[in-house]
Amino acid sequence: MLKESIKNELERIVGKENVLTTPEALKAYSYDGTTSWIREPDVVVFPTTTQQVSEIMKLANKEKIPVTPRGGGTNVSGGSVPWLGGIVLCTTKMNKILKIDKENLTATVEPGVVLQDLNIALAKDGLFFPPDPQSFLGATIGGIIAENAGGPACVKYGVTKQYVLGLEVVLPTGEIVNLGGRTLKNVVGYDLLHIFISSEGTLGVITKAELKLNPLPPARKTTMAVYADVAKAGESVFRVLENGVIPDKIELLDNWVINRIEEMMPMGLPKDADAVLLFECDGIPEAVEKETEKIVDIVKKYGAIDVRIAKDMDEANKYWLARRAGFAAVFGKAKTVFAEDVTVPRRKIPDLINKCKELAKKYNIEIVVLGHAGDGNLHPAILTDINNEEHYSRSVKAMDEIIEEAVALGGVLSGEHGIGLEKQKFLKRQLDPVVIDLMKKIKALFDPNNIMNPGKIWE
Amino acid sequence: MEDLKELKKIEQFADQCMKCGFCSFFCPVYQEERVETSVARGKNYLVKLALKGEQKFTDELGKIIGKCLLCKRCVVNCPAKTQIDRVVVGARAQMVKNKGLGFVKNFAFRKVMANRKAFGNYVRLAKAFQWLLPKTEGKIRHLPDFLKALGQGRNIPEIAKTFLRDMVKPVYKPQDGKAPVMRVGFFMGCATDFVYPELGLKMIDFMTKRGIEVVVPQEQSCCGAAIYFSGDFETGRMLAEKNIEAFKDVDMIVTGCATCSSTLKDYEKYLPDNEDQQKRYEEFKKKIKDSTEFIIDVMKVKPEELKLKKEFEGKTATWHDPCHLVRYQNIQAQPRAILKGLKGLKYVEMPNTDLCCGMGGSFSVYHYDLTKKIAAKKMAGINATGADIVVTACPGCMINLIDNILQNKMPQKVYHFLELVE
Ligand SMILES: Cc1cc2nc3c(=O)[nH]c(=O)nc-3n(C[C@H](O)[C@H](O)[C@H](O)COP(=O)(O)OP(=O)(O)OC[C@H]3O[C@@H](n4cnc5c(N)ncnc54)[C@H](O)[C@@H]3O)c2cc1C
Ligand code: SF4
Ligand code: SF4
Repeated sequence: MLKESIKNELERIVGKENVLTTPEALKAYSYDGTTSWIREPDVVVFPTTTQQVSEIMKLANKEKIPVTPRGGGTNVSGGSVPWLGGIVLCTTKMNKILKIDKENLTATVEPGVVLQDLNIALAKDGLFFPPDPQSFLGATIGGIIAENAGGPACVKYGVTKQYVLGLEVVLPTGEIVNLGGRTLKNVVGYDLLHIFISSEGTLGVITKAELKLNPLPPARKTTMAVYADVAKAGESVFRVLENGVIPDKIELLDNWVINRIEEMMPMGLPKDADAVLLFECDGIPEAVEKETEKIVDIVKKYGAIDVRIAKDMDEANKYWLARRAGFAAVFGKAKTVFAEDVTVPRRKIPDLINKCKELAKKYNIEIVVLGHAGDGNLHPAILTDINNEEHYSRSVKAMDEIIEEAVALGGVLSGEHGIGLEKQKFLKRQLDPVVIDLMKKIKALFDPNNIMNPGKIWE
Repeated sequence: MEDLKELKKIEQFADQCMKCGFCSFFCPVYQEERVETSVARGKNYLVKLALKGEQKFTDELGKIIGKCLLCKRCVVNCPAKTQIDRVVVGARAQMVKNKGLGFVKNFAFRKVMANRKAFGNYVRLAKAFQWLLPKTEGKIRHLPDFLKALGQGRNIPEIAKTFLRDMVKPVYKPQDGKAPVMRVGFFMGCATDFVYPELGLKMIDFMTKRGIEVVVPQEQSCCGAAIYFSGDFETGRMLAEKNIEAFKDVDMIVTGCATCSSTLKDYEKYLPDNEDQQKRYEEFKKKIKDSTEFIIDVMKVKPEELKLKKEFEGKTATWHDPCHLVRYQNIQAQPRAILKGLKGLKYVEMPNTDLCCGMGGSFSVYHYDLTKKIAAKKMAGINATGADIVVTACPGCMINLIDNILQNKMPQKVYHFLELVE
């Protein structure tokens, strides 16, 4: 329970209209994009300036109240769920694009700017922010940086950490610091900037970001390759890359997902295919044509049974809409879904797919695969029901083995969703105890009272 | 455990949501308020808790589910196809059932609207007072709530001297004196009846000119939008029955109001309480045609053969998609075909043509400030087109567009597309 005096103090800092305490509001801030992690805060605050964030943190630090930063609440690891109650510090009202600098290819933004809003504004100047988490309609820049998000386009462009030049951060003690800067190169002492990227809101509140941008490519082309064997699709991914073409996106949908999408929005996807790969090339028109031709040759050589080149943007958009719907397709079909986020070196994609197939048989459960195949981030998803104990326990075992296998193949247990609450119990499998200990010490250094999104990352 | 009958009906829709948060980008209310309780995801979550008995039907919940335009922008953009409109309306219905009508405040006028005659009288009363409204709001205490709210500095539509239903004949024969090519019923709708009667006459004239016999049953009532979307299903069903009965002799019912056409079609979706009602409402739905689809798809009028009225020659027009047309009925090609076909009129597409104007029926009465903010975005879109006239097919939208154009001192005029043709 929140003390009345604290509530009053918060209202003084951000204004009455920016403090929510009704039971209904607290419930509405108890969840994120996952199905299983729910916990209510005691209060939700909406600061509008860095100064306000600083005052909130000072108050919380003094009173030892947990503070969980929250942007769009779209993460899928329990990251923004206030696990120990306290304050949810929501950045959705800090959503101004402060500057777009065309000459320097940079933008300065507040943390609550939604990625799609940013890209719409940037497009007017012929620019874009390349990392493209598929939650771009709801995810904020603060959340994207805190999760080091990346989407399909990271095959060519990389992930968020390659596009953050500088950050303004409010530390758990309330101090406001600037890390990094505005330049592409910067070697001035330890690189503390990057500690905040993928910190999952546990080290401080990001209040401003200086982002690196790219010019919008003038042309794009989408190609769909159809496979009778999903592992063959996995192989095509690295074959295309090793043969010298770097498309900006390579995505995979398996048979199950294709059929669910066709049920939801019939668009003529090949329902009999074991899997399809979606490629997109972007760049100057001539290069895009040539690269597409090359992809067609390579995938045919390595087992595609059919290849379709989208004839126009409408058809291309349709395929990408289908890809985005994939997530909904999976979640709509089961009470509980383990949306795995394991990532393996690309050469190992077929091995991981085969393992998933084997486990589905072994445990007699549905494991579907859809994901950013181009970067080895496969998102195998296990469909289960937490209320069906017996099925659930089989699924948990399968998930364990998938993670085991991914790590054995030289991969990681999370490629983009972060650890949060969801992956905590697997952390030890991936990281050396010494490394975990170092992380804890870093956390203690920044956050002596352990008030910043406590209860996350490690158990 | 409280009665959950209405909620149970929409449980399957509420279950669709997978909490991705994409709707936040599309929700006009969230875009202004930026809090989770404004967005579909938050509303849906609370309704799901109510279904589990973990959320009571509190005043606060009433406010939250009340703050929805039912614009369906979230619905058409939801990757999981969650039908938030049904969740919200179902929850409102449950509230009304459990808490009574006084609970959701905007029912003060329900009895009035359900009774055509009384409603007409109230509107007339409002007319008598309308020159007073902005200054001496206190004087209209006795008016229904929603009319009172019209006094919040808002431009009130001028109430017609004579209402349409006092002007119309029960039957109109084709003007050429020949045997009719088809016979249709004309549904007036409140806004057309009380504010734009000439629009109704125009529609009738348009049809009879082209060989159609038009019947206008006097027993027809309000479509029920403001009533059943507020959760008063009981009155909603009563109106549905009245309208079904009034039009039982015709096979097709045409209306020039997008909200009415969609509301009449959707009795089937929101209201049924048993299989018999379900069947009857579904049958009724088959008869309903919005004027836009009727003219293009049924009458098969060739737009280029329509004659533009002289006063619009050389003008530039843009189209506003009413929520109840573009998303409730998936009608967007037909009106554009008409506008593009009219010789002498230049057509430009509005950048945010499908954005809700902010009216949302009684929403605008209780959240007029929000309505204005949402409308401001619409206004920016209108200004970006450089058009002289804004054309639409919903008198409700027209009222709100005119209000906001005037408030923003903009030059554009607003028309129903029927007003453009000879
Ligand atoms: C359908 C769907 C598709 C997705 N696709 C992708 C994808 O392709 N790639 C990908 O990487 N992710 C994806 N995600 C996951 C998610 O969208 C990302 O993690 C995103 O970066 C979260 O942004 P947010 O604003 O919603 O942050 P939130 O969910 O609100 O918060 C995420 C974390 O960041 C912290 N945080 C938020 N704001 C701040 C701040 N200002 N300062 C400090 N910490 C902060 C929070 O405490 C929390 O730990 C997807 C999610 C969904 C639901
Ligand atoms: S309503 Fe649809 S768009 Fe909104 S959170 Fe639920 S699934 Fe996502
Ligand atoms: S119907 Fe419109 S106002 Fe209501 S939640 Fe959906 S987008 Fe928001």
